[in-house]
This record gives sequence, structure tokens and C-alpha cells, in this order.
Amino acid sequence: MFDRIWLTYKQQRFETLAVAVMCLGAAAWALLASWHLNSVGVPASCLVDGGVPYWNGPSNASWIPGACQLPSQRFTDALTSLDVGIASSLGDVLPFFVGIAMGAPLVARELEQGTAPLSWSLAGARWKWLAGRILAALLLIVPLLLIAGLAADVLRGAQAPGTDPHASFHYFTSRGVFLVLWGVAALMGSVALGALFGRTMPVVVVALIVCLFARATWEPLTDAYVLRGMTVLQMPGASSPGELLVYESSGLYLDGKPWQGDLDAWWNAHTTCTLTDGAESCVGPSYPGPQLAWYVVTGDHYWQVVALESAIMLAGSAALGALALFWVGRRRPY
Amino acid sequence: MATDAGALVARATGVALQAHGLSKRFGKKTALDAIDLTVPAGSVTALVGPNGAGKTTLIRICMAFERPNGGRVEVDGVDPWKHRSEALRGVGYVPQTPAVYRGLDVDDHLAMARSLHSGFDAEYARKRLNQLGIPLDQRADTLSGGQAAQLGLAIALGTRAKVLLLDEPLANLDPLARREFIQVLIDAIRSDGSTVLLSSHIVTDVEEACDRLVILGAGKVLLDCPLEEARQAHKLTDSKSPPPGGIAVGSFAGKGLTRLTLWRVPADAGEGAAAATEPASLEEVVLGYLAAGRGTTGLQLN
Ligand SMILES: Nc1ncnc2c1ncn2[C@@H]1O[C@H](COP(=O)(O)OP(=O)(O)OP(=O)(O)O)[C@@H](O)[C@H]1O
Ligand SMILES: [Mg+2]
Repeated sequence: MFDRIWLTYKQQRFETLAVAVMCLGAAAWALLASWHLNSVGVPASCLVDGGVPYWNGPSNASWIPGACQLPSQRFTDALTSLDVGIASSLGDVLPFFVGIAMGAPLVARELEQGTAPLSWSLAGARWKWLAGRILAALLLIVPLLLIAGLAADVLRGAQAPGTDPHASFHYFTSRGVFLVLWGVAALMGSVALGALFGRTMPVVVVALIVCLFARATWEPLTDAYVLRGMTVLQMPGASSPGELLVYESSGLYLDGKPWQGDLDAWWNAHTTCTLTDGAESCVGPSYPGPQLAWYVVTGDHYWQVVALESAIMLAGSAALGALALFWVGRRRPY
Repeated sequence: MATDAGALVARATGVALQAHGLSKRFGKKTALDAIDLTVPAGSVTALVGPNGAGKTTLIRICMAFERPNGGRVEVDGVDPWKHRSEALRGVGYVPQTPAVYRGLDVDDHLAMARSLHSGFDAEYARKRLNQLGIPLDQRADTLSGGQAAQLGLAIALGTRAKVLLLDEPLANLDPLARREFIQVLIDAIRSDGSTVLLSSHIVTDVEEACDRLVILGAGKVLLDCPLEEARQAHKLTDSKSPPPGGIAVGSFAGKGLTRLTLWRVPADAGEGAAAATEPASLEEVVLGYLAAGRGTTGLQLN
């Protein structure tokens, strides 16, 4: 088994090296960017809502206490600097590059280079042959992407100094264990496409498009179908740091409870109008009336949400892997 | 269970490879046309035929690379399409185009074979490559065409398989390597009792090692008999008049401007037939059948 894993890396040495460099480079960059942010040293007393107040220039920052204005300004500069900007967007692309780089050639290159007849004749059961290669790829990318994902968590923590990245849904699908999950899904998908197409380049192109689409639709879809049941109605002014806005209710709420009623009738009933000298003056209620409701998942459900979404993504990856094993068993080796 | 029984039957009847009404079509092109073929265990069968005759297709079906459109094959009693890993466990294969991994060295190939095939004898393959002077640490993509073919052969022989399916293994070898290869093949059969099906264009190359001859032409089996019988039951003339009891097979251009005709002469045709005509060489037998298969004579077989 060890031989097979090692030979898989040796066969794909360029991809193996590229994947290692990309992951470790991204992790190092994220840690450097975190260090850059931490080095500003914003005092804890300046944090508002778990974060450093955003410095919007002297005229707009009058609400920031005087002593916090300079740290806020410096932190905002660091936050919008190029190195931090690039580091925080790496998590959106890295797992796809890594998964596709390892997965696309896994079957397709054997077919392109005409070596599949040899290895398939020796292996007998093709699914075992492919499973061995997938295992080799997983052993490489899982730890590397985990390192990159944890570094991205550290960076997220540094970007919002008052919040725990593991109790905050900010960009949570672009960091932490999600990097591994996206990478594994991209790997399995591109292996399956490789078994279907038998050519590396078309696999890379199609896999990139599919990944882009999956990434863009993941959050709307999970919000709509997975997380709805976990939401709570948010009280006005009670927003907690790190919470995830899942949806805005089309209904209204009043006094912390969903409210369905005739808005005009409510306001009419709660407004007193007086007619003085032919001019009407009205006085509304002294408390907020019905408002648009926000349904959120609070930060303390972080691990629950991660576990749920991980299970879905792993199930999807397993299905793609099974498809790859099935296709490789049915196709011609050339 | 059914396949085990099949294997037992195959062993008992001494059949290593069998095709029944085997057909393969690629679109409108018929590559194999309902062929029947039996390769006895322990034999070395030369599979001869012109380009496009279906030799590679037949071997690929035996390797479960292609699915037949009709009929079936059994390798050591097992249908490779239905029980692939069981069928392939006992088969060593050399593809027509040498398959080497770019970027892996020769020894990596042997390590790969060992990791994929439980019974692979890497030492045996290594020894063979050493004898041929092929460095184990050389990158396989820098090997010459013949050396790459030798690597493929070493891997196939290293499987110590009972059935060897070799698709033109000699095509890239120099004359000395051909002779050596034939020797190795003869050794392998003697020591392991292997069965070999070996495709080739040039029958004289494999004459020494083979004991059976199968001629494929346009997807049909034109001749399937022991080599000795092929030699003795055919005569060659430069005239249109048949030897006594002879049945015309095909005619082809001889040396100079003569047109030669191959005749099949049944064993009971009498002494006169043998005396009256030239005995045909194996190459001429093949040429006669190929001409018949291509339809360049008035006479069609089968
Ligand atoms: N995958 C394929 N798709 C379409 N046609 C094919 C395919 N494979 C083989 N053929 C056709 O089937 C016929 C038999 O091909 P095959 O490769 O078996 O011939 P061959 O006897 O091995 O020839 P050669 O001596 O040139 O190797 C040819 O006409 C070939 O064009
Ligand atoms: Mg061929």
C-alpha cells in the first residue's frame, strides 16, 4: 500500500508539489496577515460589538471615543491592506485548485498516456486500483487543507479581535474544516469527470465551472433548506456577534413574536389624532411597532452547523467517489 | 461458484482460452464476426493477420477492455466481462503500444506491478531486465522503443500468469532480442506451464516457439490448426492446376512475376500430391490465407 501511495505522488509529482506549496503558502500568508492585524494592538476597551469600530475618516467617526480613534484608524488600514485582503480571499479558491489539481489527472492522465491498459490488467479490480489512488490523494490534501483552514480561522479571529472564530459564522464556509470539505468534494468530482472524459484539460475546465457554481449556490441553498429549522427570531437590538442571518421573514414581528395582521389597522389603532383649528396632529405609540423579522442562527450553534454541513458535503463527495469507481469500471482503458 | 466450476472444467478439458460465436462491432465496422476459437492449455498460439484483422480486438475482449456484441470468451474458464478480477488474476498482458509511465523509472514500474498484482515476481522481472542490460534506475520515458517493449514483457512475465496475452510483443525488438524473447517464452512455458496467445504479423518470427497457428482475416478465423498440420497440409504451385485432391486457398504474387497459389491438400490425398508440388513454407501458408481473406482470389473459405 505504501508503495502505491508513494508512486501516486511520484507520478503526479508536479501536482503534489504544487498542492503542498499552495496550501502551506496560503497558511503562512494567513498567519502573517494575522500577525499584521494583531500588531496594531487595539485595546479591549475599544471593541464594539465584538469588533474594532470601522474608521471611516474623521468626519464620520465622531461616534468612536477619542482614545480609540487612532487604533481604529490603524486597524482599518491594516484590514484593507492588500496582504490581508488577498489572504482572506485565498480560502475561497484554494480548496478548488487543490482538489482539481490532484483529482483531474488521477484517472485521466493514465488514459491520456496509455498506461491504463497496463495498470488495469495488473490490478484486476479497477475500483481497488482507483480507491488506492484516491486514498493517496486524500492523505495528501486533507492534512494540508486542514492546516490552511486552521490558519484561515486564526486570520478570521484577528480580523474581528473580540470574537471567537469558532463561535462566529463570518465567512465560516471559507475557513476551518470547510477548506478540507471543499477540497475533498472538488477532488472526488474531478476524479469522476476524469473517469468519464478521460482527458485532463477538459476535466479541469468543467470542474472549475462546476466548483464555481457549487460555491456560489451553497450558502443560499443551505440557508433555504438546511438551516431554517435552527433559526431563532432576533430581538431588536439583541444582535449577537458572529450570528448568521439565515433569512429575513416576509412577515412581521411585534414584541418579540411573529405577528400577522393588518399593518394599517394596527397603526390606526395605536395612533391618536386630534383636530385643532382645522389642523390634524397625530401621535403614534411610544414603542416600536411591528417590524420586519430577522431569523438568525446564533454563534453558539457554530459546531452544530459545521457538523451538519460537513455531513452533507461528505455524503456528496462519497457519492461522487462512488460514481468515479463505477465509471472507471465501465470505460475503455484508452 | 459458477466461475470456479468453469475454471475446473477448463482445467479438466485443457482449454486455456475459448471464444464462442464472438462478435465485436465498432459502429458499422465489424471487427470480429462470430468467431470460434479454442486455445489449448500449455500451447503457444500465434495469432496472425493483416492490419485491422481484429487481433487486438480479440485480445482486448479477453482483457475485459471491450465488451463483445455477441458470443462470449472464457479465459481459464472465466468470462472476463462478468468476473473481471478473477479472470485477470491469471493473465499477463502486453499491449500493442508499450505503456510506460512518464517520470517513473524502470524499478518504479516493477514496484507498481507488485503493489497492484499480489503474485507479481519482481525479482524475476528484475533479473530479466538486468540480462537485457536495461538499467533499473533509468526513467522509463527515456527507454528506446524496444527497451520499453522489453519492460512491458518483463512485467507480463513477472505476473507468472497461466495465460499470457501478448499483442505484437516482437514488433519493436531487434533480431537478437526477438530470439532471446522467444527463448524466454519457451522457458516460461516449460517452467510454469503457461499458455500463450501471441499476435504478430510475421509468422517466421514466432515459428520456433509456437505450436498452433490462428489466422484472422477481416474478423473471421481463416485457419486454426497445429503448426505442423499447417505446414504439411498445404502445397504451393505457380500454376492454376491443382495438385491431386488439392483445394485452392488463395493466390498471391510470388518473387518475380509469378503468381503463386496455395492449395490445401487433405492428408488422404495420396503420395502423388506430395511429390508433384512444392511444400509450402509457413509464411506462404499465411500469405495464401490472407489473400483469401482479402478476397483477392476467386475462392473464399468457410
Ligand atoms: N475503439 C475502436 N473504435 C472504432 N473502431 C475500432 C476500434 N478498435 C478497433 N477498431 C477497428 O476494428 C478493426 C480491428 O482492429 P484491431 O485493432 O483489432 O486490428 P489488428 O488486427 O490488431 O490490427 P494491427 O495489426 O494493425 O494491430 C479495425 O478496422 C479497427 O479500425
Ligand atoms: Mg493490433
